[in-house]
Order: sequence, then structure tokens, then C-alpha cells
Amino acid sequence: MSDEDGLVADMHRLLGFLEVAPPVADPDTVERLLAGRLDPSDVPPGYGAVARLLAAATAPAAPEELAGEPLLLAEFKAVARSHPPTLAPRRETMPSRLASVKVAAAVLTAVLSIGGVAAAATGLLPGQAEQAAERAPSTTGAGAAGRGQVGEAAAAGLDAAAKQGLCEAWQAGQGADHGRRTDAAALRELAVAAGGADNVAAYCKDATAAGGNEAATGPDAGSPAKAGLCRAWLSGQGDHGRRMDSVAFQALADAAGGADKIAAYCKDAAPGSAGAQGPGSSSPPRRSAPSTTVSPPSGGPPADPGSGGQGQGGPPTTGS
Amino acid sequence: MIGPSFPAVLAAAQGGDEQAFAVLWRDLQPAVLRYLRVAAPVAAEDLAADTWISVIRGLARFRGDEQNLRTWVFTAARHRAMDWHRQAVRRPVASLPVELLAARAAPDDPAAAVLEAQSTQAALALLAELPPDQAEVVALRVLGGLGVAEVAQIVGKRPGAVRVLAHRGLRRLARRLEAAGLARGVTR
Repeated sequence: MSDEDGLVADMHRLLGFLEVAPPVADPDTVERLLAGRLDPSDVPPGYGAVARLLAAATAPAAPEELAGEPLLLAEFKAVARSHPPTLAPRRETMPSRLASVKVAAAVLTAVLSIGGVAAAATGLLPGQAEQAAERAPSTTGAGAAGRGQVGEAAAAGLDAAAKQGLCEAWQAGQGADHGRRTDAAALRELAVAAGGADNVAAYCKDATAAGGNEAATGPDAGSPAKAGLCRAWLSGQGDHGRRMDSVAFQALADAAGGADKIAAYCKDAAPGSAGAQGPGSSSPPRRSAPSTTVSPPSGGPPADPGSGGQGQGGPPTTGS
Repeated sequence: MIGPSFPAVLAAAQGGDEQAFAVLWRDLQPAVLRYLRVAAPVAAEDLAADTWISVIRGLARFRGDEQNLRTWVFTAARHRAMDWHRQAVRRPVASLPVELLAARAAPDDPAAAVLEAQSTQAALALLAELPPDQAEVVALRVLGGLGVAEVAQIVGKRPGAVRVLAHRGLRRLARRLEAAGLARGVTR
């Protein structure tokens, strides 16, 4: 009997489901609904219950959701005490570097296998890189032991092969329209490793030509990195407003002194001149974080936040 | 959101200030936990704790603004959820959490619960019923308070794809709730 009741209810639900026409709502309204910025009076027909659902989902915190505070604070204290902030990063450097090297290697594979032109033309790179990175975890176990020395090398940034590959990819994109290229996960990796997009040229310089690091001169107007970034920035201006999210453009914004100053900053970027530039020596390359675009290795805790997270072109923090 | 005081709070927390860290934690923990209730319902509490432990260990090296921190923390939470699912696949069938199966078969329809009471748990349960890629994107946008670009970064998809997934997810929810409303004779 109760089984039948259940069946009837299920059928009702199913029929009801089939009868309901898919509600239409314009994309902009849906975006505002998702962002929690839609006035209740603007909720389109058919979305009233959804709006209530989203409101319920984002209701203020219940006490039980914050019940774990004492435990987490104890953990925080323990970590802060045993690893003063300046030393804390060292503890995890090895595993997380190892992890990032794998991601970098996977990304490199993607970069090299696609070829610069295709990547530039189609903007395929992020997706491919992601796939490559997804594959990376499967090799983690087997590769970890053998890659010890790679991990060591990575202490100075990306490992040599990854660095060279990424640098070549970056340079290949210099002349082309690489509005999308600087968004690519791989090149973001490079920018992070270089300690900022402004430093990429300097960082890559010694990857291709084995020269010493010359003195820091600061980002200069003729720097290829700046010119490249400016070109990329200009080329992307029309089509998306959210470009600033990439590390490279963040670095550009930093160099310009603000996102709204990029236009002015880029105005005097003389493309072409390939002189010495970049505050290379003052910023030892920061080890590359698995960029959040790239799905990181499956590994243990060190794989993600341990890697320094966003690292939006920030200064190196891992003193060695 | 912490807002204008965020840089100071972050700096203090990075310097080892427990109270500053508590501010960050209280601000984000409910959202992280709710996201995980959608992404990996039965393990949400544990995964949230794991997420924070990894955040604590990496905090000193974090650089960025508040939105970057959110993106970073949710990236960590997502990794925990993905790891959990990966391991769940390998777990012997016998050890599949019984309470999960029980919850699935429970007569209480989360859609009805959402319609009748503004239940957060029911809302999250309903979000969790979406196809995983839609659920993830909707949860990150709504619960995480993240924009299209941040979510795209976290899930490794193009912004356009993220937008489409989120819109499809909401449309599906609308249909689901509407159907539940009709089935129960409840007017929307």
C-alpha cells in the first residue's frame, strides 16, 4: 500500500516535471540571480522558487557550521608556533615543488604538442593544459621517486626543461597577437615563476642564452615583456572585461600602478627593443604554483594551498 | 566578505595572529562547508577541516586580495572533494556509506522542503542533485560568492562554459521546484 502511494507520488512528480515548460530568463537576470544581486521584484516567472532556494542556501551561518573553530584555531596556533611565518614555507617546499614541477611538465607537454600557432589562434591552450594536468596525477606515484632531482632543481623556479619550453612558447607568442596566450595557464605559470609578467623576459633570457643575471634595472618602457603584455592587453580590450584576472595582467596592472592606469602605461610601451630589463636579480624566481586554472595533482595536502595559491605575480616569499 | 580591512587581517593572520585567522575562518567556513555539502555531501565536515589545515599551512605564502583568497580556498576545497570522489571509486562497495543511500531514499523531498521551509540543508541537498558539473559551478558561484572568471579558473573551464553550466543548473532547479510545487498542489 505504502509502496503504491510512493509510486503514485513519483508518477505525479514525473508528470509534473514533464509538463513544466523550461522557464526562460534572460542571461543577465540569471547572472544577477547567481551573484545574489537580483532584486526580488525582478525575479523572472518560474524562478521564484529558485530565488528562495538560493536565499536559503546562503542564509547566515548556523552555529554548528562554526563549531569547529576551537580545533582549527588550535591547529593554527600549533603551525604558527612550530613554524614561524618566515620559516613556514620551507616545511612543504619539497613536496609542493615536486607537485608543481609535474604540473609544469604536463603543461609544457601541452604547449609543445599543440604548437604555438594553433594555441594562439584558437585559445585552445588552457583546455589542453588542463587535460594534461589531469593526466599528471596518474603518474604521480611512479614518477615521484625518480624526480627527486627535478624537485631540487625546481627550488630555483621551474625546472630547466620546463622553463626553457615555456620561455620558448612565450617568445614565440611575442610577435603574434597573443591576447589569449598570456591568459593561458602555462604562460601564467611562467609569469608566476618569473616573479611577475614584467620579469618574464629577464627570466627567460638566461633560459635560452646561458648568460648571467645582469643587474636589476626595473621594468623599463622598452621591455619586450611590457610591450608584449601591453599588446595583449590592448588586443583583448574589446572582447572581455575580466582579463585582469590573469596573473600576467595583474602584474601589468601592478607595474602600471593600477588597472585603470594600464592604458596610459601602455601608451609609451615601445614594442620591439630587446634590451636588458627586469628586476631579475632582486626577485629570485618564485617557484611556480600550480595555477588554479590547472587542475593540480591529486596528491596530498601540499599540492594546493601549500603551493602559494594565487601568487598574483607577487614577490618571492620562499626565502632559500 | 571582510572588505576594506582584509589586507590588514590577512597580514596579521600571516604573522601568526590567531584572532585574525579566526576572522578569515568565520567569514569563509560556512561557505566552504556548504560548497562541500554539495560537492561531497557525506564527507563535507572532514573535507572542510582538511581544506583549512592546508590553508593554514600555505597561508604564509599566499599573496593576493580577498577574492583571490576565496578563489584559493575554494580551489583547495574542490581538490579535497575530487580526491574524496577518486578514493570513493576505489572503495569497496560494501563500505559505501549506508547513510548516504538512506538519505537518497528518504521520503522527504528536498524540493518540497525548500518550497515549504527555507531550509539551508534542503537547498544544498537539492543543489547536490544537479548533474555534478552544474552543481559545482552553481555552488561555487552562489555559495562561494565567486564570479564567472574565478569559477572558470577553479574548475579549469572557459568562462563561457561556466556561464552555460550555471544557467542550465538554475533552469533545471526551476523546473524541479516547479514540478514539485505542481505535484504537491503548492502554487509557486
